[in-house]
Amino acid sequence: MFDVINYIYGIFRSNMMDIPLIAPIVDYLMKIPLINILVALILWKPFFAVIIMPGLAVLTLYLLYIVWYERKLTARIQWRVGPIEVARPIRGAIQALADGIRYFFQEAIVHREAHRPYYVQLPILAFIPVLLPIMFIPAGSAVGIYTPYSIQLIVAFIALIPITIVAIGWASNSRFAYIGSVREAFMYFAYEIPFIIAVISMIFLYGSGDAYVAVEKQSAIPGVLLNPIAFVVYIIAMLMATSRLPFEIPEADQEIAFGPFVEYSGILFGLVMVLAYEKLYIMALLFTILFLGGWSGIYCPLLGDLNGPLWLFIKTIIVISVLVIVRSIYARYRLDQALRIGWTSMLALSIAALVVGILGVWLL
Amino acid sequence: MDEYALDIPVEPPRELKSLFIPIPPDYVEETYKSDDFLVLVGPQHPGSGHMRLIVRVRGDIIQEVIPDPGYVHRSMEKLAENRLYIQNIPLVERPAIMDAPNLNLGYVRTIEEALDMEVPERAKYIRTMLAELGRVGTHLYDAAILAVFIGHTTGFMYPFGIRELICEAFVRLTGARFTSSFIIPGGVRRDVDESTLKWIYNMTFAMERRLKSFERIFIKNPTVIARLQDVGVLSRDEAVKYGVVGPFLRASGVEYDVRKVEPYEVYEELVWDMPVSDAGDGYARFLVRVNEVGQSLSIIRQCIQEMPEGRVISDQIADRGDDIRGSFYDSLSDIVLPPGEYTTLTEGARGTIIFSIVSDGESNVPYRVRIVTPGWLYLRGFMESLKGERLADLQAIYGSFGYFPPEADR
Repeated sequence: MFDVINYIYGIFRSNMMDIPLIAPIVDYLMKIPLINILVALILWKPFFAVIIMPGLAVLTLYLLYIVWYERKLTARIQWRVGPIEVARPIRGAIQALADGIRYFFQEAIVHREAHRPYYVQLPILAFIPVLLPIMFIPAGSAVGIYTPYSIQLIVAFIALIPITIVAIGWASNSRFAYIGSVREAFMYFAYEIPFIIAVISMIFLYGSGDAYVAVEKQSAIPGVLLNPIAFVVYIIAMLMATSRLPFEIPEADQEIAFGPFVEYSGILFGLVMVLAYEKLYIMALLFTILFLGGWSGIYCPLLGDLNGPLWLFIKTIIVISVLVIVRSIYARYRLDQALRIGWTSMLALSIAALVVGILGVWLL
Repeated sequence: MDEYALDIPVEPPRELKSLFIPIPPDYVEETYKSDDFLVLVGPQHPGSGHMRLIVRVRGDIIQEVIPDPGYVHRSMEKLAENRLYIQNIPLVERPAIMDAPNLNLGYVRTIEEALDMEVPERAKYIRTMLAELGRVGTHLYDAAILAVFIGHTTGFMYPFGIRELICEAFVRLTGARFTSSFIIPGGVRRDVDESTLKWIYNMTFAMERRLKSFERIFIKNPTVIARLQDVGVLSRDEAVKYGVVGPFLRASGVEYDVRKVEPYEVYEELVWDMPVSDAGDGYARFLVRVNEVGQSLSIIRQCIQEMPEGRVISDQIADRGDDIRGSFYDSLSDIVLPPGEYTTLTEGARGTIIFSIVSDGESNVPYRVRIVTPGWLYLRGFMESLKGERLADLQAIYGSFGYFPPEADR
């Protein structure tokens, strides 16, 4: 028994995050038996990448931040104040947390027409394709599972998300949920193909689907300058994929009342509501790796191994914070207009990006 | 594109039987047999207002829309039969809160026509100014609703922010933010002082500056134009045939405005244009109203500049002085209209308002009050313009008409 614990401890110990800033505390805690296993686990690189940063812990923080930030920014643009009553001294910064708690204690109604098992399961099942990519997203030396095909894997998981949303609408078995599901399916095809072609062009450019190679190749010039067309296609695809406003078509609340999620209430609604935000987070992480030099940044010796995850997270947050501004600028396109954009200009642009990517190989 | 008929027996959904919908069951059966689909939009739907729209769709294309209004019917006409003439003033201005001065004016003008009452010049100018303020407020309100219907939340907040200026002007003029009951038979309730007029004069310029930022973010926004242009087109003939009124008729190329055709108050003496468009689509209907806001602000400024001094209440009503305050009920409660039917037309913000009062000549309550609001008049045109459009356009066309169920239901 003791040997097993020691063996596991040895595994954790061999691959720990080296952060000089908190080294004294870690050294002190490592002397205490049992606690040291816990500390070693938390600082074990795969665990750290998946659970702490850029994984679940900062994902939760990001969700709390982005919902508040989006509302505050929109309010500033619209001559309003935005959420302020919950925790006035910090300008209502925990509004999203308060909403989450409210969802948690609200009754989750399952209506009679719903397909009950799927209706209740699917919001939770939908988290599998949303959260699994975190396993393969490297951040500096911290990586959950290292694979040379990490970019392809992330794209594959992102492509799975709309299927769960379509299934959610199907299980709801209501008119507007049905229309929303159909719209989601249409939008899925409209953005997915240009999106995948844009990513392929970048894989061509870097010569590998390995995120480490991609970041290394960007050490001189970031990907956004190497292939600006793919950059544009990726941004538009990101807006379409996460139902941001010019393309907020599947959940158009004035037209079809939140589309596939119309019947959800309580914590189930809370879960499906954050799906789009989590998808945005994953796509922005991939965006940062592909176009903005990933985790490379000014190296701070005090932070040691934490530099990579921190830079990746900061860049991602900046990308998302810029993206949420479109919500207050644009009106919603109609489905056929969005499909036309997806199948004509975006597809053409993505093919141009692919050409740029293939030609760029000789330049790099 | 070829259509492929699927020979699958389709049953109408169960809830269509239990819900009360004003269409025959055969129609429901026939719809589902012919491969169509009924979508009930409303009355509890973020994009329906207080009404239900029974939308028959084939794929994404709307085949027919059957309106089911009446959810906010307040039996205004019947209530009016049991109240004194002046007690009806607060009642009849309730249909459209922002448009209250126009409804108020229409009702009061009917009484004045029956009693052959002369209104002092200054009161006429104040009434015109109030009516135009109400028009600007209503157009801003409708622009906000249009914006939120096509998902533009900034376009929703800006007009509501700008509308606060109108509300503030009403507060300074009348003491209430919208339903002020300020216009009474024979004039207005009280005089307006110089400083208030000066404030409103300056306010019109402040509003124009704010409207510039609204224009930048919403009116000229490419996504907004993409959503509204060539959507819900009503040709000139169709608009006339279906009895569309107001700015929506003018958007289809018909030059008809009650203020020009049968001028009332001081519209004749002021200089203003009638915005007209030939396109007849959603964007034209919106732009006509946007231009009307500019014209209305100009009318307000002219009213303030040219306002003469004098009484604000007719000497037929307040014969003991030029102020009705203190003797309001004594002077006005015993109005009895001579027997007959009196009808006036008023140009409200959303179109022609028809007020018709039938009096028996004996009692101090009306025998019958008929109110026809513009919403009710253009409902048919609204429904016809939806045919052949996509389901997502339902809200865009709805917003472009500025349909306001409480106004239509009365």
